[in-house]
Amino acid sequence: MAASKGIERYTIPVGPIHPALKEPIRLDLGVDGEEIVDVDVIVGQVHRGIEWLGMNRNNAIQNIYIAERVCGICNISHPFAYIMAVEQAAGITPPERAEYIRVIVAEMERIHSHLLWAGIAAHEIGFDTVFYLVWRIREEIMDLMEYVTGNRVTKAMFQIGGVRRDITEEQFPRIRKSLEYYKSIFNQLKTTFLEDRTIKMRTRNVGILKTEDALKFLAVGPTGRASGVPKDVRQDQAYSAYADLDIKAITPDVLTGTVVGDVYDRIIVRLLEVKQSVEIIEKCLSEMPPGDILTEPKIAKLLNALKKAEGEGVGRHEAPRGECIHYVRLEPGRETLATWKIRAPIYTNLLPIPTFLKGGRIADVPLAFPSFDPCIS
Amino acid sequence: MSLNSFKRALWLYLINTGSCNGCDIEIVAALTPRYDVERFGIVLVGSPRHADVLLVTGPVSQQMAPRLKRVYEQIPDPKVVLQVGSCGMEGGVFYESYNLVGPVDQIIPVDVYVPGCPPRPEAVIEGVVKAWVKLEKAAEQRIT
Amino acid sequence: MEILSPEKIVDSFKSALGDDFIDSKIYQKEMAVKKNIFTSIWIHVKREAFRKAVEHICELQKYPHLAIISSSDRGNDVELIYHFTIYYGQHLAELSLGLRIDVPKNDLKIPTITNIIPGALFTERETQEMMGVEVVDIPDNRRLFLPDDFPEGVYPWRKDETGPEDMLKVLPGRQQKWQQVKE
Repeated sequence: MAASKGIERYTIPVGPIHPALKEPIRLDLGVDGEEIVDVDVIVGQVHRGIEWLGMNRNNAIQNIYIAERVCGICNISHPFAYIMAVEQAAGITPPERAEYIRVIVAEMERIHSHLLWAGIAAHEIGFDTVFYLVWRIREEIMDLMEYVTGNRVTKAMFQIGGVRRDITEEQFPRIRKSLEYYKSIFNQLKTTFLEDRTIKMRTRNVGILKTEDALKFLAVGPTGRASGVPKDVRQDQAYSAYADLDIKAITPDVLTGTVVGDVYDRIIVRLLEVKQSVEIIEKCLSEMPPGDILTEPKIAKLLNALKKAEGEGVGRHEAPRGECIHYVRLEPGRETLATWKIRAPIYTNLLPIPTFLKGGRIADVPLAFPSFDPCIS
Repeated sequence: MSLNSFKRALWLYLINTGSCNGCDIEIVAALTPRYDVERFGIVLVGSPRHADVLLVTGPVSQQMAPRLKRVYEQIPDPKVVLQVGSCGMEGGVFYESYNLVGPVDQIIPVDVYVPGCPPRPEAVIEGVVKAWVKLEKAAEQRIT
Repeated sequence: MEILSPEKIVDSFKSALGDDFIDSKIYQKEMAVKKNIFTSIWIHVKREAFRKAVEHICELQKYPHLAIISSSDRGNDVELIYHFTIYYGQHLAELSLGLRIDVPKNDLKIPTITNIIPGALFTERETQEMMGVEVVDIPDNRRLFLPDDFPEGVYPWRKDETGPEDMLKVLPGRQQKWQQVKE
């Protein structure tokens, strides 16, 4: 596309170190005046060689702890998908109580991640008061996670064949108290984010991703759902305890009646998902089946069984940012995995970026870019 | 120990050299109303030219090593470097990977180490307090 | 678009591809308390019929979802698996479809599918740099994750002599270089 006479086209590099985000990623914006014409995304600054480490240096159980550190914010999603893949490959079935505990911890992580994003989005608008308010609300769920699992971040709760800790009947009242707190405060959050004039002005009609583009470029997670594509692995595929719960993918026409696909729609989807997670945890607590939590408590026997196993498996999980998929292949006689492939949910969402940043202004980039919740790892 | 030079303000700059973001969210959580170090004047700034303290997280990947050096040189003296998390100390869980360029103190000089994976916000605050004391001593020596 | 059962899907592939269809496997498992079924289908085709197979998947579902391309080094050849999912958006109806292709090591080439599915660009670039499989007619040939000064000919996912073992950096404080885990 030719530039107009007398005006040159500039390229503005943003990153990898920039004040908008805490993660390194580089965007090369080609601008014509104030309008963005071209976007180039350059990644790879966070490449640590995790798949090579998993295939050559660690055995299958040590890989759970490396998978946890792929991303510190969604650190339950990667072990969940990895363990489902290994269990499918080796033919291990976890007990039903373990499946329900896994779902409870995964939904707690979804609440914490969406509140974290809401605070950062408010900070990017310049609305620091809301940033501090939301992160104070988030501390309640961090306390709850510490009470149930033992740590705020990197919880190491899962094991191949079940979970490592039980949620007993004595812990239920404390969990229910936290859920009541979130139900009482949800209306305040909704009024703050969805009915505030400043936020509406900054976010309506900014960074629009059309439904057609979301389908062609394979957008997943809340970004895809805000554009009208009802893709949600918890609703579509029967895995773990989600198969028993009737989960519906949330699209913005539940609240407003139309789908525009801009930043305001993404805020709607994420806030409603927080409410949905609270309801899912309550349902799981009331329907939890009795039983034990691990098929094989002794680690040496588990390692032996994995060494003799053969097969391949695919584990998919709906992380707070989208679909997270792990592929594992086991060969007999090897302690390490034969093949391991990880795909964090962010890398599928990077391709639609040029579509929704083009035609906008430079000043909208610090808001539109974090609106699909990057967690580069 | 009385604070003279940095009595009411200490400005931090955070650089992520390839970490998993766990340490970063614990650092930002230290500024929020639960732990609240902002009442002492500690703020995260957006430019290395405004900063007094450099916080480094993450194992240093090959693409980020020259950028880390450049940012360190841009921070004006007197400055303190704090290294948060066990990734930068010896690689953490990622030791001996093909894309990592060694621990942080092989690239820039480090003053305070905060181990943990990730360290709790209380541990980060203690590290910042130790850095503050060190910075005061460095400032005193320059004035006298 | 109607939802076919797994057996009918496999039969439709057999009739569309003819001789190039090698093998198929259907995996089903019951989940949790209510015993809903989790289904996944694996289909093995020859390399020549690869693009026809992808177009056939596009007939089963208008915009199929390509999750990732995984590759394994098996000595003499490289096995690529394209993980698709179809029938998303409906409650408990989604099926995972794995399309398996063998590429011999003396002729590591595979055609691109970015003109059918534009969202496959990043995962094809990753396969190209990490495994050494050349994707013919790819629109963007640059490296994705590895740095630009990474040596040519070193492929991290391979298990043969082109692996990155020479590039491992031994950190101070550790006595010996990494050794292969005993088999």
